[in-house]
Amino acid sequence: MTAFITRRILQTLAVIVVLSYVFYYLMSLMPGDPVDMMVASNPKITAEDVARLKSLYGLDQPTYKRYLNWVASMSQGDLGYSRTYRVPVQELMGPRLWNTFLLSFISLTLSIAIAVPLGVISALRPGSRTDYFMNLFSFAGISIPSFWLAIVLIILFAVKFPLLPAGGTQTIGGEPLGFWADLMDRSFYLVLPVLSLSIQQIGRFSRFTRSAMLEAMRNDFIRTARAKGLSRRVVIWQHGFRNALIPLITILALSFSGLFSGAILTETVFAYQGVGKLVYDSIIGNDYNVAMISLVISVSMVLLMNLVADILYGFADPRISYQ
Amino acid sequence: MLNKLSKGLLLVTSLSFATPALAAPSNAELKIGISQEFETMNPLIMTMSASAYMYRMIGRSLVVLTPEGKWVAQLAKEIPSLEKGTAKIIEEGGKKKISATWEIVENAKWGDGKPVICQDFITSHKIATSPTVSVGEKEQWTQVEKIEIDAKNPKKCTFKYEKAKWDFYQLAQFFPVPTHLEQAVFDKYSKQKEGYEKNSNYVRNPTNPGLYNGPYVISEVKLGSHVAFTPNPHFYGKQPNIKKIIVKLIPNTGTLEANLRSGTIDMISVLGLDFDQALAFEKKTKAENLPYVVHFVPSVTYEHIDLKLDNPILKDVRVRKALLYSINREDLVKALFENKQQVAIHNVSPKDPWYTADPKIITLYRYSKREAGKLLDEAGWKMGADGYRSKDGKKLSLIFQTTAGNKTRELVQVYLQNQWKQAGIEVLVKNEPARVFFGDTMSKRKFEGMALFAWVSSPENSPRSTVYSKAIPNSSNGWSGQNFHGWSNPAVDKDLEALDLEFNAAKRADLVHNILKAYTAEVPVLPLFYRSDISVTPKNLKNYKMAGHQFYETNNVEDWNLN
Amino acid sequence: MNSNEVAMDELQIDTNSLSAKDRAELEKAQPMWKMVLTQFLDHKLAVVGAVIIHLFLLISIFAGQIRSITGLDPDAQNVANRYLSPMTTAQVGQDVRETEVERYINAFPESADKIQKALLEKGLVQVAEADAIYDLASRDVKEAISSLQSLNLPEATDLISTFKNFETFHLFGTDELGRDVFIRLVYGTRVSMGVGVLVAIASALIGLLIGSLAGFYGGLIDTVLMRVTDALLSLPTIPVLIVMAAIDLTKLPWLKAIVSTSNESIFKMVIILCLFSWMTVARLVRGSILSIREREFVLAARTLGAKDSTIIVRHMFPNVIAPMLVSITLGVGESILFEAALSFLGLGIMPPTPSWGNMLNNAQELIYQAPFLAILPGILILLTTISFNYLGDGLQDAIDPKAIRR
Repeated sequence: MTAFITRRILQTLAVIVVLSYVFYYLMSLMPGDPVDMMVASNPKITAEDVARLKSLYGLDQPTYKRYLNWVASMSQGDLGYSRTYRVPVQELMGPRLWNTFLLSFISLTLSIAIAVPLGVISALRPGSRTDYFMNLFSFAGISIPSFWLAIVLIILFAVKFPLLPAGGTQTIGGEPLGFWADLMDRSFYLVLPVLSLSIQQIGRFSRFTRSAMLEAMRNDFIRTARAKGLSRRVVIWQHGFRNALIPLITILALSFSGLFSGAILTETVFAYQGVGKLVYDSIIGNDYNVAMISLVISVSMVLLMNLVADILYGFADPRISYQ
Repeated sequence: MLNKLSKGLLLVTSLSFATPALAAPSNAELKIGISQEFETMNPLIMTMSASAYMYRMIGRSLVVLTPEGKWVAQLAKEIPSLEKGTAKIIEEGGKKKISATWEIVENAKWGDGKPVICQDFITSHKIATSPTVSVGEKEQWTQVEKIEIDAKNPKKCTFKYEKAKWDFYQLAQFFPVPTHLEQAVFDKYSKQKEGYEKNSNYVRNPTNPGLYNGPYVISEVKLGSHVAFTPNPHFYGKQPNIKKIIVKLIPNTGTLEANLRSGTIDMISVLGLDFDQALAFEKKTKAENLPYVVHFVPSVTYEHIDLKLDNPILKDVRVRKALLYSINREDLVKALFENKQQVAIHNVSPKDPWYTADPKIITLYRYSKREAGKLLDEAGWKMGADGYRSKDGKKLSLIFQTTAGNKTRELVQVYLQNQWKQAGIEVLVKNEPARVFFGDTMSKRKFEGMALFAWVSSPENSPRSTVYSKAIPNSSNGWSGQNFHGWSNPAVDKDLEALDLEFNAAKRADLVHNILKAYTAEVPVLPLFYRSDISVTPKNLKNYKMAGHQFYETNNVEDWNLN
Repeated sequence: MNSNEVAMDELQIDTNSLSAKDRAELEKAQPMWKMVLTQFLDHKLAVVGAVIIHLFLLISIFAGQIRSITGLDPDAQNVANRYLSPMTTAQVGQDVRETEVERYINAFPESADKIQKALLEKGLVQVAEADAIYDLASRDVKEAISSLQSLNLPEATDLISTFKNFETFHLFGTDELGRDVFIRLVYGTRVSMGVGVLVAIASALIGLLIGSLAGFYGGLIDTVLMRVTDALLSLPTIPVLIVMAAIDLTKLPWLKAIVSTSNESIFKMVIILCLFSWMTVARLVRGSILSIREREFVLAARTLGAKDSTIIVRHMFPNVIAPMLVSITLGVGESILFEAALSFLGLGIMPPTPSWGNMLNNAQELIYQAPFLAILPGILILLTTISFNYLGDGLQDAIDPKAIRR
């Protein structure tokens, strides 16, 4: 087991290094570096300005050298400087990562808390009226374009019935609040974005739970367990649900890997100060340092969660073993 | 059935769009929405429009351009001039130079009470010209060779300019920084690449009032979210009426409008709504008597189509003229913009003293399909059975590019495409994200046919960078210059060179008119329209005057009043 | 398969004792596809979904016919009538009328000449002869038609029908350039469905190939392919999209034949979506193949000396067809949603080609002023993706032998 985990972690690290170089290279392939963009917006910039700025930014060096420089400064704990916002990366990303984490974590836990029981219930009574409505709801959730839903939600709950703020992260310019008041204030702003993210996730998770559970409940050992006279609860949760766990773990791990990468569309529409929009802008604006850090975070999260899922398989299903 | 359905849907939608009444904002607080990103507000290195918009509330420069298009003194007591003797042409080493005396207004102070002195200009000049600081456009700094402080008065100094240009006094971006705060930072980090930028007080401690000398100071900044402003008690001018201003970033224009309607923001700045959205919003405001005013003000932003003159089809001036004759720009402006943006006839805006519409000077192109057809026939492009013209078996087909995602441009693009189709010209749309379009396609002159975009200029601004033949980007000049179309006309080059050094206003206008004559006769560019700046303010906001150029209306924020 | 045939023979022998009617009944029940169909038809909503999808497919196939029947053109602009509400009638702009009249005069010079003379004679127009028809065309359409009819000329019928086209009925209103929303939605169906279906099938094929290679050979090939899959799954899409936007497909020689500037963005969209959607299928196929690899029938085939390709194609593919079908149907819905999201970011299909995604994107800012423009494409996207999801669900139930409810 330990050997397996070590091997996987080493593999993961290798993948991260390779991917980060690929990504760095891709970014450098993209036309238009920060200096080019500056030239395009200001007709007065001269050729000397361009040469000076390029050497100042290190853009005149070959890609691999720039990449090595970046790795060197990263290993010293220097995350670099955002050229777009002109502040150090950690100052820029810290609070946003926290905001994104809050948003994704709340909507994920909420969705799981709602979707798993929903999926189980409808799997236990396939073809019933409950199942029918649950299906309709989750298919609608999966199928709705998320930004469209977000706009509709804003119109309904912020403009037509002004119950909730139309966008933002917290009330700005007010008096400094205590911890709890601040928390209340933030959660007020979180309701709509969480809602629009959750509707989709609930749809997806409950579909998965339902089909995994249906599959599990068809097994012979369920019939055996029933025949043995075990209570319904024990049969469902200990025999059925446990066997439905494996596919569930996979999909949940995949979803959790997005905890820090943010939802671009939702964050944009709600003007939520998360990391998704920042990542998009940093790539569009060739803000290397910000883009690279976000890439490393998002890729490591995916790979890490895959690893976690693999380990959890072992607990969910003792038949799976690791050499 | 369908009828019923659509009526039902209409009912539902109209129900959900009724807006509840909102309380009008007061002088206690004004919340402004913008849709563009802003950066750290260090006046020496910031480049984003949104930052410039906000900086005008907290920082002042020696001179500024008024909304009426006049240069006036701001931090300076008066603008030096040759006539008054406050500026004179001198000769040094065989070169003509200018030396001008500036005096800073008596009670100009930084937010911490320290006076604004000439040394502050020297500090910012020193920082901006340092090789380790990434200032974009260096010329505005390097044009000042030397600053000498008067021995008796620290607020009086002499600027020596490296060239004798008539517009030497236009130093509107030449911002001072507080020596008592920034000097130490610069001394410490000046050796390090970008060291000053990373450690400047504007980054480390942006709410220090001593950094600002405008009517407001920053009380809170959160990049990517908002900036809060409170009045600067040491401001040299009149104290502002509004006790608190918050500028809030809402990147999605649809949500921006929703925020206005729900009262989360009180007004939308000039960097906000799309044109179409603003038109619709204005109608809504009138129909429902909402407490807002939608402002449309003609700006100096020149929307035009660059033609690639190397293209074999576009080489022929008759084809270029036909392209211009076959589009009905009056109709375009009327239909799409309800006449709230102006048709452009060349690259000098009607707000500019250099403007002329005199048919004796320039060539005017009024929409005429027949004229266009005649020119194309002459050029050998004959109408075929498929409705498109062709010559030697080749279809008259052009590629038309612009920035993807810009609604107004895409709208105009499709409209024009249709008009050219009527004239037998096939136009294919190929749009790219802004960074590809500007960063590669245009700057490396890779576009093949037509490119729609805009130039922002200010009144009496030399068109040198966009029509001078040495400004054609190529690998030998490091792809600098913005003469993307590749127009090269020796007479125009000579006029451009003479223009900079001409101190007589009437003669300057003559030179520009010569350039415009060639510009409209040879049609290297299809002028389309001048964009209008748009903003939405609460009905009770008084003394709000939109500028229409890059010296934003926030420059007289102290006059705004919500009572 | 051999063992199956043996069983069939035994069945044959047994059924000799059955009555003819029973035998007919039994034989009727035999074919697999019929069983699947019966199962599928049980799933009411899946059937509804299938019907809706077929409807949309028909619409996209016959978009051209719909266009000629209704006489609407998805690119015809009428800027005097922007943002019309649904169920309204509008008259086309002057520029279009001029072009149409010009075309008519060029096509039928003699009858045009006659009409011009007649118009002048009756005093219906007071302009030069050459401009007579143009002048008439610029008037109110109904008035112009009645004047033409009053001429009582047999030659005028063609012109009358041309004039009749100057008045258009807009079922769903008009958009920001006065174009008919209905016909644009019809053409948008073609683009969106086309992209969705193409992407789903192409990525399923890529996934099938990679997944089966990885699953069948295992070892190093498996490790490499699966790490590539992982890497692609974790790679953020946006930078790749922007790089793609910079590539000029028309310059690639082998694509020149099919790609032109006007459809390039659609091709790019398909390629990008394929690049980012084959991984799930690959994993799925790999999983199934892994479990089949050690089964007896594969072992049997191998001992009989079957080639690797034969084993993969003949013995393994049939076993993964069912999950593939399901993932294709689900993939279509996802691709349509993805296309809409890309359009929202301005990286989608270029104007003036309509797709549901870019129509929705264009309208989202005007959701207060012209709600229909945003609501209709949104509803179509929702409806189609739901239908595909139900179809996939129904197929899954129908194909999966364990799910058969007797």
